[in-house]
Amino acid sequence: MLVLAVAVPFFGAVLVWAWRDRAFAHWIGAGAAALALAAVAVLPVGRGGGDWVSVGGSLSGGWWHEVEFAWAPSLYLDFSLAVDGVSWPLALLTALLGLLCCLHNALGAERRTAAALQVPPPGAATGGRPRRRLRAVNVRGRAAGDASEVPGIPSPVLTSLLLAVQFASTLVFFADDLILFFIAFESVLLPMWAIIRRYGDPAARRRAAAKFALFTVGGSLIMATGLFVAVADTGTADLGAIIVAGGVDPGISLLVFTLLAIGFAVKAPLWPLHSWLPDAHTAAPTAGSVLLAGVLLKLGTYGLIRVAGGIAPHGAADAAPVLAVLAVLGILVAGLVCLSLPELKRLIAYSSVGHMGFVVLAFATGTEAGIRAALFGNLAHGLITPLLFFLAGALKARAHTGLLGSLGGLRLAAPVFAGLLGFAAFASLGLPGLAGFWGEAFTVYAAAERGGAWLALAAAAAFGAFLAAAYLLRMLRRVSHGPLVPATSGIGDTSTAELVVWSPLVAGTLLLGLMPGPLLDLFGEGLL
Amino acid sequence: MQVQLIDHVAMLPLYLAAGAAVLALFAGRFAKACMMSGLGASAVAALWVSGGEDRATFAVGEWHSYVADDAAMGAAALFAGLSVLVAAVSGRQSGEYWFLLAVSAAGGITLAGARDLITLIVALETLTVPLYVLVTKPGRDGAEAGVTFLIASIASSATALMGAAFLYAAAGTVHLEGLAAGLADAAPGFVAAGAALLLGGLAFKLAAAPLHAWAPLVLERAPLAVATYLASASKLGGAVAIVWVVYFGLATDAGASTGIVVAALSVASIVVGNLGALVQRRTVPLLAWSGIAHAGYTLAPLAIVATTAGRGDTAAAASAALTYAVFFVLLEAGAFAALTAVRESGEGGPITELTGLWRSAPLPASVFLFAVIGLAGLPPALAGTFAKVAVLEVLASSAVWLAAIVAAGSILGLAYYLPLARTVLLGRGPATAKGRSAIAVAAIGLALLAVTLAPQLVLDFTAISH
Repeated sequence: MLVLAVAVPFFGAVLVWAWRDRAFAHWIGAGAAALALAAVAVLPVGRGGGDWVSVGGSLSGGWWHEVEFAWAPSLYLDFSLAVDGVSWPLALLTALLGLLCCLHNALGAERRTAAALQVPPPGAATGGRPRRRLRAVNVRGRAAGDASEVPGIPSPVLTSLLLAVQFASTLVFFADDLILFFIAFESVLLPMWAIIRRYGDPAARRRAAAKFALFTVGGSLIMATGLFVAVADTGTADLGAIIVAGGVDPGISLLVFTLLAIGFAVKAPLWPLHSWLPDAHTAAPTAGSVLLAGVLLKLGTYGLIRVAGGIAPHGAADAAPVLAVLAVLGILVAGLVCLSLPELKRLIAYSSVGHMGFVVLAFATGTEAGIRAALFGNLAHGLITPLLFFLAGALKARAHTGLLGSLGGLRLAAPVFAGLLGFAAFASLGLPGLAGFWGEAFTVYAAAERGGAWLALAAAAAFGAFLAAAYLLRMLRRVSHGPLVPATSGIGDTSTAELVVWSPLVAGTLLLGLMPGPLLDLFGEGLL
Repeated sequence: MQVQLIDHVAMLPLYLAAGAAVLALFAGRFAKACMMSGLGASAVAALWVSGGEDRATFAVGEWHSYVADDAAMGAAALFAGLSVLVAAVSGRQSGEYWFLLAVSAAGGITLAGARDLITLIVALETLTVPLYVLVTKPGRDGAEAGVTFLIASIASSATALMGAAFLYAAAGTVHLEGLAAGLADAAPGFVAAGAALLLGGLAFKLAAAPLHAWAPLVLERAPLAVATYLASASKLGGAVAIVWVVYFGLATDAGASTGIVVAALSVASIVVGNLGALVQRRTVPLLAWSGIAHAGYTLAPLAIVATTAGRGDTAAAASAALTYAVFFVLLEAGAFAALTAVRESGEGGPITELTGLWRSAPLPASVFLFAVIGLAGLPPALAGTFAKVAVLEVLASSAVWLAAIVAAGSILGLAYYLPLARTVLLGRGPATAKGRSAIAVAAIGLALLAVTLAPQLVLDFTAISH
């Protein structure tokens, strides 16, 4: 099942790419994503007991499932996969978002092909059509730019790239071998670069894609150096075994942790290494932003918590104050920047920096409550922010602008849409009862619990949460309330297709918000 | 005096390659077929020999001049295979062409087995001298390339010979194993000078800085098929020579000075190569400059001999360097072979002329893309990633600063590799580019795919044991 969960998106990507000229290519992609989701979803069946015993350098028990094939033993590279309570929820999230993105792409493509046959009346008020018009404009812009797309023909290649990202990310979450982890981590780069470079906003995509690629490769190579130092020290690349054995030698622990943390901080992103993120998010197409926020940022935090914290616990403890201060600075800076940002997508992107700041702060506390809060906040962010990006993408497609100044009155034009936007915004600002609350509340709690200077950090983080409330409410006031403006007048409400794509995220947000217990128990079983 | 028995089985790959050269000279219109089949047989023979026990011959006491162990025979097979590839993409040429190419390949095979300085340098000259003729196309550009290559090569040979002479004077022997034992008592400054001169001269073949300037110029002006050879087999020759000299000869007693020399060569190459490649607008010079950077990555692991005392670590470093060299020349060979196949004019041209290659010639374009992404070290072209992992694994444990330089160089590499890949992939170019030599391109593509899926194939051969 583990292999299946990884292999299905890969072969899905290959198949979609091979049949990219056929009309059914999108649905192969969606089908592959659905299969992958099913494969991940059944992983808890028949899981092991959670007793972590190390026997002769290799691990027995503990993992729910594991598979291992030798690949290149002289490089310490084994194709070994494993899953436990920490990685499974993230893999499930990845599979879910992958499916939703493929569906989003497939449904959008359907509408566009239908529209190529029947020319729509201008200003048509039904759900998907204005979006398709904008896409058509984009496509034409692309055609002028590098003559790669025929106008009106949807691109299954995007679906294929999305599946490739999903494949690589799932591999990162399941990798039990540090070298495999590194390779999977790097594999994410090219498809994501291609998504931004080829399907992004024509004005900004070039710079954004280059920046994304350079930052990410820089981060992952620094991380790789840290991994190799750890491998050379312990003599094995088996992640689980290293963690159970207590990590690397305390003497080099701080070096390893610093290298790893810089690498993951780029991906997470932690202030001040975040500057690629707003550009990449703003330029990327909707599905790309969703995967960036929901999956790629999780790679960074997962790596930080599981890999960096796991193999260099002493270094993590030593570096915790620095990490915490950076995280809090990130929260505050993101909050202040968001207060003045004029653009919707960029605002959501920057808010991610703040949320990830909470996750890193929670991790930095090093307490059990803190780490659980970090994992929980991580997952909650992975549900809420993609929802926000879906909504922002749909709104931008309808209104042809993402500028807060030229939006308004969405409440009147599209009540359901405005309601969803409000829901997502409230979830994001951490309203109790929704998923965002637990992670942030327990972060502040965990930080305050450590006392001393941490109390100040906790207070600053709490103030950051207040800033988040302020900028999200400002966003809502500008977008949903106020009188109708030309941009929003006559735009359509949500279509059924959109509701289908968005509803799992809404449901997930509610579920995590109302019943955080089971998930926290899962984390408790995991190997940290 | 006792007459020594020569182990003819160990020499078999060399006999076959030399025989192929002679046959090609006299076979007239069958020269190409003779040369390709002869070198193919040589490659098979090398693999067969490596399958058996390690052999060695031409002994002086315990020291051998010619050794046929796994690493040597793997390198020999690679030399022969790359020569066959170059022959396959060369198209129609006169009989001498095949003769010269086969002679050069024979030089490479000798080099792989060489374990004393004289054999090593003679082999390297045998590898290089035929290329003086091959790089020279008729016309002004060709003459410029030929003369540049000639002068640079002779200057570097003289440097290397001077270094070899110093080392001989210091140790009293030219056998690499003898050097390992004999340098301990020599004057350190003398040994350091010898090592610096020898390695600097050998680095010419690898196109490592500071003797790198010939590479972009010659590669750009030479016929593309010959450029393929220069960028792959010829560089492999340089890498093998340096690895042999450093590991078998210098690491034990001249480790400190050797390590410093190699580190300097490596860092200079990485910096110069990457910066040079950033400003290139033409395909071949871009690959040539980036090749200089790759020469730096190849040398980087050897630099740790300066600090390591144990033989085991040195072996790991030498293996990593050889591994990187093998992956790198395979990728270069893929890129150049694909380029040769699509460029009818026989020259690289500006990068923009590759626009839309993906649509007009999918097979060469995909091999080219795979090679370029591999050179950038990114998945899915894992061949390049494995090479990078091998180097970083060695460096991370003993020279983190050098690992950081290698990493920074790779990041810079993305800045020119990604646009190159994008140009090939996107756009709609003139549909004139027809892929020729489809079999050869497919073969190198399959070889790259094979080492991507099963890197252990390469790693088994490059694991140097004493």
